[in-house]
This record gives sequence, structure tokens and C-alpha cells, in this order.
Amino acid sequence: MRARSIRRRAVVCAKALGILIAILWSAFPIFLLLSSSIKRPVDIFAVPVKFVFDPTMDNYVRLWRDWPVFFESLLNSLIVTSGATLLTIAASALAGWVLSRCEGRYVTGSAFALIVLRLLPPIVITLPLFPVANLLGLNDSRILLVLLYATFFISLGTWIMKTSFDQIPRTLEEAAANDGASLRQTLQHVSMPLGVPGMIAAGVFVFIHAWNDYLFAFIFTTTRAKTAPVVLSEIMGSATGVDWGVLFAGASLQLLPIAIFVIIVQKYLIAGLTSGSIKG
Amino acid sequence: MTPTLRRPGFLPYLMTAPAHLLLALFILLPAAYVFALSFMQSSFGQDASFVGVENYAKLLRDRYFWMSVWNTFIVVNSVVYIELVLALLLTAVLPPPGLLCRVIVSIILLPYAVSEVVGVLLVKYMFDPEAGVVSYWLQAFGIPELEWTTQPSHALVLVVVLSVWLHMPFTFLIVYTARLGLPHELYEAARTDGANAWQRFRQVTLPLLMPAILVAVVFRYIFAFRIFPEVWLLTQGGPARQTEVLAVYLYKSAFRYYDYGMASATAWAMVVLSFLIAAAYLRSMYRRMFVHAR
Repeated sequence: MRARSIRRRAVVCAKALGILIAILWSAFPIFLLLSSSIKRPVDIFAVPVKFVFDPTMDNYVRLWRDWPVFFESLLNSLIVTSGATLLTIAASALAGWVLSRCEGRYVTGSAFALIVLRLLPPIVITLPLFPVANLLGLNDSRILLVLLYATFFISLGTWIMKTSFDQIPRTLEEAAANDGASLRQTLQHVSMPLGVPGMIAAGVFVFIHAWNDYLFAFIFTTTRAKTAPVVLSEIMGSATGVDWGVLFAGASLQLLPIAIFVIIVQKYLIAGLTSGSIKG
Repeated sequence: MTPTLRRPGFLPYLMTAPAHLLLALFILLPAAYVFALSFMQSSFGQDASFVGVENYAKLLRDRYFWMSVWNTFIVVNSVVYIELVLALLLTAVLPPPGLLCRVIVSIILLPYAVSEVVGVLLVKYMFDPEAGVVSYWLQAFGIPELEWTTQPSHALVLVVVLSVWLHMPFTFLIVYTARLGLPHELYEAARTDGANAWQRFRQVTLPLLMPAILVAVVFRYIFAFRIFPEVWLLTQGGPARQTEVLAVYLYKSAFRYYDYGMASATAWAMVVLSFLIAAAYLRSMYRRMFVHAR
């Protein structure tokens, strides 16, 4: 009996240790980032890490003074991210409803095309798109980024919406139709409002991706439409030597809102992943 | 069912049009164009001329292409399986659902919010050979430090570490959600039968989680295969092109050497490899969907 209780205690300790390591692994780098953004340059590279230091806002002041373009890029990121999210939600909700409610070869083929095209590596399309975007004057524009991010998340979004509509009983829509509502009215007043949780789940993935993406923003923007990750990479690659304090300040401003967002929408991330990948 | 739903007419076409239009304009057409380009020789400001499979032949002869294939192979396999093992371990040690568990899961998910650019920044800072905090710890434990600016293999180790850090939350979420769905009674039964923790994991949890594990692995293979920013921002493929992965090789062919034919051939190699990786998954989806449709 005693041996067993010792063993049980050992298991509990091992589990606690595992959790502790996981928390350190996930959170310590982020803690370093945020705390370094309010450290003096001498403290940033102090080893071992300084946990007690005089906080300063100097880095943020220098970021504001030396890199005004960073704040423009934050605004670009916000606009591109919002646009891509809204477009993805709208297109996915419409297509997802069809996949859920209609039948036939066209619908099945459409659903399968969504899965297949999702597998294509995004970098493949940059080469042919670059001259075309130039020709249409779309290079270095926020609208191109909106369209690209939406395109690559429409597949996941549509599958999430399909699963979401599948869970809504058809009788609700039929009742509305029997009361004389047109299909458009039924969609607008019954189906779509009930699909809102699905829309949020479909939206969070593209939101996080568009906010953080480097590849498309790096290739398709040069000055006006640069997003925050691109400007951060420029601060990091500064020819005159990296000002780490400024870099940490910028990175903190880019990371903090989206990190809080991820914690808030955790429930929808889980729901979206289950419906988007396991059933889809 | 209502008449409109039974005979929807042109409605399905109309409502799927935005999604299909985007996919056609930004994926299908460009991919087809790349396919055509891969049989031509062309460069910046130069008209394309048909050269047959010459680009593919050149690609297969280029040792830097094979280097990038090999690097991609090593990185992708390391990333996918390290993530899977870590995700399974985490799932096993988490406390039962409740407030504590939710808080821990929130913290574990945090790296999911981090941009690759910020991830590279953290790696450069923490692994700085002279002043990085991890380099300091490694020294303290007597482990030789990573000379990632000069040693290609060390740089790739960092790419793997960063990639695992950024994407483990994804794998974890899929495995963890599937684990939550397993019926509690099974474990009660296994416990009554005298199964210990390892046996319960090996004979109950693992087989039941297999479908979710397969999905996580397939998706991570497909996404990890595209890896670009981590390598590009950390090493730009250097030193001496030793750390290039396929996406970096493609990017350099297209936007640095302006060899569009070679870049397109690389692109199609990537497309084909992506589909090969996903072949089993695609086949099972195809069967399920089209058999049900009939």
C-alpha cells in the first residue's frame, strides 16, 4: 500500500514538472520579449537574465521617432487583416450553406475542389502573380493582400461553415419558408444569424494568419502597403546595426494584441479545428 | 423540405461563386500559368521560349536543388514528429478539465499568436553566440554552443526548434480536442481490469486518437513543407546556400536570379510533392464524398 502511494505521488510530481516545463517553454520567450521592450540597452543583453530592473519607455520613444513607418504598417496590418477576415467570412458563409443544404455532383465537386486547392503551397503562385499584379497596378496595395489571404483561408472557412450549418436543424428554415419567407429572407433572418458562431470560428484563423504573415506581404509590398511583420524584419535587418530595444518595442506592439485575441477566441479555435480538419 | 431547397436552380452556383472566383483567380490560373512557364525559358524583360523539359532536367542536375530537397526532408520530418510527441506528452500530463486546465491550455497556445518574424527575432536574441541567454545556459551545462551563423547544420537545428515552438499548439489542439472526446467509461473499465497508466495510454488512448493523429500529421506535413520565413530571415539560405529549403530555393530562382523557368519547375515539383504527401488523405476524402453523393 505504501509503495503504491509513493508511486502515485511520483506520477503527480512528474506531471507537475511536465506542465511547468511546458509553461516555461511557451511563455518564457514571450516574457523575455515584453520585458526587454522596457529595459535599457545594457540590461537587454545582461546574462543571466535580469528580472529586476529600472523600467523605461525609451525604446518606444525611439521607435516612434526613428521608425514612424512602423506605425503606418500597424495600421496597414489592421486594415488588411479586417478586410481579409470579413471577405473570408462572407464568401465562406455563402458557400458553406450550399455545401450543407444542397446536393448533387456540382456541390460535391465544389467541396472537393476546396480541399484540393488548399494543398497548394502559397509560394507557388507568387511568381506568376507578380507581373500580373504589376500590370493591374495591384502591387504594393492592401487590396491584393486582402484577396490573397482570403483565398487561402476560404477552404477552411467554408468547411467550418458547412459543419456549423449541418448542426442547425433544417426545420427552422422550413418553418420560415412555410410562413411565406423568400429564400433570401430565410437566409438573412434565419440561417445566417444562426451561423454566427461558425463565422467567428471561420474568421479567427484568417485573422491570426493575415496579422502575422510574412511571405505575401514581403513579396507583394514595397512601400505603401507594408504590414507590421515586414517592417519588423526591416528593423531586424538594419544595415546600421540592430537597435534591439526598438526592435523589442515594435515586436511587443505587434504581438500583444494578437496574443490577447488568441486567448479570448480559444474556444472558437478549438471548434474550428475540429470541424475544419477532422470531419473535413 | 421546401421546394426551393429541393430544386435550388442556379442558387448553388451563385452562392459559391465568390469562393470559386477567388480560388480560380488566385490559385488555379496562376498554378496553370506556372505549369506552362516550367516548359519555357524566360527571364526578367525577356520573351519566353519553349524548351520542353529542359528546366526539369536542369533542376535534377542542380546540386543546390538536391540540397534544398534534403534540408526540407530533414526539417519537415523532425518538426512533424517532435511536435506530435510533445503534443501527446502534454495531453497526458494535463489536469482534468476545469479552470486550471483552461489557464494552462491558454499559455500553451500563446506561440500560436506569434509571427514567424517575431519568432526569428527571439531566436536571434536568445541564441546569440556571445550574449544569448540560451547560449549561456548551454555553456553552463557544458553543452557546446550552437554556432548557427557559420555551421549550416546548427542553423537548421534552430529552424526546427523555432518551427516546433511556433506550430506545436496546432498539433496539440487537434490531439487534445480528440482526447477530450474519448468516453470516460473506457478508462474506468481499463482501470478495473488492472491496466496501469502506460497500458491505458498504449491500448486505449493511442488507438482511439489515431484518426486525429493522422489528420494532425498530414496537415503539419503539408504546412511544414512550405517553410520559408524561418529560414529566410534566419540565414537567407546561407552560408553558401547550405541551408536552403525548397521555398527558399524557389524564391531565389525567381526573384534573385530571375530564372523563371527554373523557378516554375521548382514550383511544380513542390505541388506534386504536396499532393503525394496528402495522397492517402485525399483518396479517403474523395471516396467518402463521392460515394455518398451518388
